[in-house]
Amino acid sequence: WQKVLYERQPFPDNYVDQRFLEELRKNVHARRYRYRAVVFQSGAVVQQLCSVCVFVVTWWYMDAGMLSPQGLFGAALVSSLLGYVLFDAVDSGAGRRESGRTRWADLKSTLVFAAFTYGFSPVLKTLTESISTDTIYAMSALMLLGHLIFFDYGANAAIVSSTLSLNMAIFASVCLASRLPRSLHAFVMVTFAMQIFALWPMLQKKLKAQTPRCYVGVTVLFALAALAGLATVSSVGAVLFASLLLAISCLCPYCLIRLQQLKDNIHGPWDEAEIKEDLSRFLM
Amino acid sequence: MAAGGPAGGAHSVCMVSDFFYPNMGGVESHVYQLSQCLIERGHKVLVVTHAYGCRKGVRYLTNGLKVYYLPLKVMYNQSTATTLFHSLPLLRYIFVRERVTIVHAHSSFSAMAHDALFHAKTMGLRTVFTDHSLFGFADVSSVLTNKLLTVSLCDTNHIVCVSYTSKENTVLRAALDPRIVSVIPNAVDPTDFTPDPSRRDDSTITIVVVSRLVYRKGIDLLSGIIPELCQKYPELHFLVGGEGPKRIVLEEVRERYQLHDRVRLLGALEHQDVRNVLVQGHIFLNTSLTEAFCMAIVEAASCGLQVVSTRVGGIPEVLPENLIILCEPSVKSLCDGLEKAIAQLRSGTLQSPETVHNKVKTFYTWRNVAERTEKVYDRVADEVVLPMDERLNRLMSHCGPVTGYIFALFAVLNFLFLVFLRWMTPDSIIDVAIDATGPKGAWTKQYFFGKKGRVKEELPSS
Amino acid sequence: MVLKVFFPSCCSSAESGILIGRWISEQNSAVILAVVHFPFIPAQVKQYLSEVQRVTKVSVSVLGSWSNSKQEKEESLSEFLEDLGTIFSHEPWIQISKEGDSNFWSCSTLQKHSNNPKEEEIILVYYDQRKVMLSHLHPPLDTAVSTDHQADDASKLAAIFDTVAKSKILFMTDRYDDGPIKLTHWQSDGVEASIIVELMKQASVPACMLLTFLLSLISGICRSRVLKFWPLSFLWSKLSTCEQLGHRLQHLQVISSDKKAQNQTQLMRKANIFVSLLVDVALGILLMSWLYRKNRIGHLADTLIPVADHVAEELQDLLQWLMGAPAGLKMNRALDQVLGRFFLYHIHLWISYIHLMSPFIEMILWYVGLSACLGLTVALCILSDIIALLTFHIYCFYVYGARLYCLKIYGLSSLWRLFRGKKWNVLRQRVDSCSYDLDQLFIGTLLFTILLFLLPTTALYYLVFTLLRLLVVIVQGLIHLLVDLIDSLPLYSIILRLCRSYRLAAGVKFRVLEQQDGKPLRLLMQINPLSYGSVVQTYRLPTYSCYPKDTWTSLCKKLFLGELIYPWKHKGEKQD
Repeated sequence: WQKVLYERQPFPDNYVDQRFLEELRKNVHARRYRYRAVVFQSGAVVQQLCSVCVFVVTWWYMDAGMLSPQGLFGAALVSSLLGYVLFDAVDSGAGRRESGRTRWADLKSTLVFAAFTYGFSPVLKTLTESISTDTIYAMSALMLLGHLIFFDYGANAAIVSSTLSLNMAIFASVCLASRLPRSLHAFVMVTFAMQIFALWPMLQKKLKAQTPRCYVGVTVLFALAALAGLATVSSVGAVLFASLLLAISCLCPYCLIRLQQLKDNIHGPWDEAEIKEDLSRFLM
Repeated sequence: MAAGGPAGGAHSVCMVSDFFYPNMGGVESHVYQLSQCLIERGHKVLVVTHAYGCRKGVRYLTNGLKVYYLPLKVMYNQSTATTLFHSLPLLRYIFVRERVTIVHAHSSFSAMAHDALFHAKTMGLRTVFTDHSLFGFADVSSVLTNKLLTVSLCDTNHIVCVSYTSKENTVLRAALDPRIVSVIPNAVDPTDFTPDPSRRDDSTITIVVVSRLVYRKGIDLLSGIIPELCQKYPELHFLVGGEGPKRIVLEEVRERYQLHDRVRLLGALEHQDVRNVLVQGHIFLNTSLTEAFCMAIVEAASCGLQVVSTRVGGIPEVLPENLIILCEPSVKSLCDGLEKAIAQLRSGTLQSPETVHNKVKTFYTWRNVAERTEKVYDRVADEVVLPMDERLNRLMSHCGPVTGYIFALFAVLNFLFLVFLRWMTPDSIIDVAIDATGPKGAWTKQYFFGKKGRVKEELPSS
Repeated sequence: MVLKVFFPSCCSSAESGILIGRWISEQNSAVILAVVHFPFIPAQVKQYLSEVQRVTKVSVSVLGSWSNSKQEKEESLSEFLEDLGTIFSHEPWIQISKEGDSNFWSCSTLQKHSNNPKEEEIILVYYDQRKVMLSHLHPPLDTAVSTDHQADDASKLAAIFDTVAKSKILFMTDRYDDGPIKLTHWQSDGVEASIIVELMKQASVPACMLLTFLLSLISGICRSRVLKFWPLSFLWSKLSTCEQLGHRLQHLQVISSDKKAQNQTQLMRKANIFVSLLVDVALGILLMSWLYRKNRIGHLADTLIPVADHVAEELQDLLQWLMGAPAGLKMNRALDQVLGRFFLYHIHLWISYIHLMSPFIEMILWYVGLSACLGLTVALCILSDIIALLTFHIYCFYVYGARLYCLKIYGLSSLWRLFRGKKWNVLRQRVDSCSYDLDQLFIGTLLFTILLFLLPTTALYYLVFTLLRLLVVIVQGLIHLLVDLIDSLPLYSIILRLCRSYRLAAGVKFRVLEQQDGKPLRLLMQINPLSYGSVVQTYRLPTYSCYPKDTWTSLCKKLFLGELIYPWKHKGEKQD
């Protein structure tokens, strides 16, 4: 008996051979995860949660008048410059050479950004005057949630859209900034949002790729800072946030690995073949 | 007239599928050709499908093949919406009127086919199901559809698959006993696909691709192969027939590499034009990512082309190794396969189109398919249909605790509905339709012409 | 095949003779046009027929014989009639004989040359020669829909109508004329009235020539180069009065042209234009006589200024309301104030303009009122233009509001795409995904946020001014509807349909007359008049105004997107 259709074989059509289902495979693509690796990868989620937390806490301080815009601006400027230097220093300029982006382009972007924000800050100030504060809070919360959902944590899924994620964060920051008392506050708030939502993840990504140890340290420090900041505003919130972070970084990886053992996936010649190559290179 | 004649007596078969003419495709032509060959062998065959636009009611096709276009709502992709009950009155009427003994449903995508199986089992008719497609097991949608297939097939008398791979797939999906699954391949009418080497342009090498331009047909692979090979072989041309969402990818590649004169996109092809496109090429390329049988490569081989194809699904079973070059589904492997074919073509070691055609035309014929299907019918006719209690037992034991009980309840409700319908209009008062099919039927030439003559006589007075 | 004989009912009492008419062989029917009485000289008859044939282009021939024997049938006569068939050879030779006062005639055909002497069935169809001659058969309007069969029937009937209508010249001979041959057919009675008609015809020629000269002079001036420069030509095209005057000028040119109308349709068109012009002018003069009595113009002018003032005040109140928190809506206060002040300034300008104008209004109205003598339509168009001028501020507000709103909508839609990381691909006409730079994203989102929060304010202004604008547009639209009605209504055709319904035939109906065994079937052909609806549809005069052909959905879409809707005619579309 042969597994071919073009020959008439002296067997009935419903004949079942010894070799029936011999090509059946199980769990071919199943990956065995290691706990440490999963915890390490969950750092991206923790970082992003902390970013949102830091942003909200900062806004809280600004709104309450406990933080002067000049102070925040100075701190942000210093940390940005530090980060900028670090960004190039981590891979000793390799990434910059690859992308071909000049320092002049960076400066231009910064200038454009600062000029627009400063120019529009009076408009931002009066933008949401007539809209109720609760509406603004709800909208900002929704947008920040969207930012967390659509953020590119490194997974390859259809829902990921870093553009949409960043835009939602900017929208939320503009909404929140318009509630602040003066236009300078609004300007500083939006600048800060840009730094924490756009520049900080870029630096993180590079750190993660180049110096994983350092990245873990930065993550822990950042998380602790966020927690400390939240604790000054609300202790209950801090406890809840801490448990959330723990659940994400410890409990979820554990569950994933436990459930992984129950996996029973059947494969065979009937499976739809996967295209493994990157075909977009033909269109570059 | 009937070749051989039916061994186990004539059957009255009702083919049920959502997919039938005027829709065009593999399932549609399978149903049509199989019905024609069965009629030729002396069986009574009718087709039941849903209404296509204004095409509704009863129509007669060649040899008196009666087609019922039922007024059911189309939900998605030409498949009807199902409630599992609403089609019972109509289908019961048809089954009783036409004295149907075997219900043969086609395609697991067709909701109507599953409905008909369900009702036929309730009415105690024998059931056969033909699966035309392959399914994976990995994602949510296939988990759900596989569950439904399990329910639908667990008490079906016999299942037909188009290839051994498809059989393995169906057996796994529906958790079936492999002995009630037969493998009967599709067929191609070899007279429709004859070679014509004069239509080729031998100063160039033409690679033909005929398929719908969708992801499952591996058009992304094609978009990688085209620039790779066109840069290597300046005399190479591509001829792509078909339409679909991935056309844009091919257009982008063509623009990017400026291949407008060498890559021709023909758009959607009518079935009768496929042969005219095929004979213009030397090599046929199939890049499908999954395929139960793949008629396209048989058609191409029948036209005398060298076939290069991916090794997926049932494709390795379809053609012998000297007629096909099998590759892995990657750009590199497919390019290697094509280069091998091109080298053979240049050195003249390829077989001539005529010899290829003569070889292929013996492989798959509809008469053979009909003969083998008839054997399935004969076998099924001897089997007993599960009585209601056993059927419920089977459903509950076979389909899992939750689904099994739910569908057992549905089966009981369906039975009660049938009892109600029988009480409303007893079977005895439903008219029996005249058997119009085949040589025995009323649809003979004499009858037809006689009737026509009579009509002519009546004309002046009216 | 049945042989049909169409027999004029006025010949039923004619003396014996021979039948002349046209043989339509395709339909196997004979259309009898006249009866030639005894005695005659065959050669003369033939000559006469050939003359008729030359003039009318209808193949008139002798079709058979007619005997009307008041007394007993004379054997010799019938033989003689049969002999006639040999002189005027016609196949088949139709013999109709009437005996006494009997209504049932006997008909027979002679087929000399054919070998099958099978008796053919004959149907006698009586027709009213005058009505058929004067009537104009209208082919069914929906020929595309009707089957070929129906179209075939229509063309058959048309052949018969055509034959009768063309041989009009045959009937022009006077009853009292003493020609060499005596005929019986329909003859007109009233010769006296036609003398006046003749006189008028004579007089109309110089009148028309004078009119043509004047018209060419006027149109020459209108076409002169001075009036073609940009601002002027634009102004002309926007003023509906100018359009209407131009339209009427064209009408006058059509009427006064010395070219003969080539067919029935053109003739009807000329007549329709003439009547509608007359009615229009009559109504206009009526209006003028009403206006200039009792100083009504002065009253009108006195009320017009306060009304305009009042409108401006109302608008001011409206703007004040919008600048607050209208209907409790949450508007952006800063933008609201800016927009409100901008519009208030406009109203201020407008009021001062009106006050500047007020001393001259009465005089302007007085002169403008004179134009009513050119027709009611011209007066109505002037009214429409005056409304347009008096509500110019509303139009301006609308345009500002719409432009602003449109800009916002387009900006928002493209920034929304940027927000989602998409862009509009112009070449492929679809939305593509696109990777933006960081600064692009930032500025885009910033603008998006700002535009989104300012949208309600703009949208409210736009909504209010659009509603005002629509009000004006509807009033103007109604006036133009009235103008179009007067312009396009085919009054002459309608009057014709009312008084001489047979003149406009849609088809025919046959009434079965009394019957006797052995005698041919007798039918009376009656004319079906055209329905009023199809009269209007067929003879509707084309109007100059073509409104933008917006469907309701496209209008709503335009309104939503903030595209301008014009009440004034689109010149661009006309050329398409």
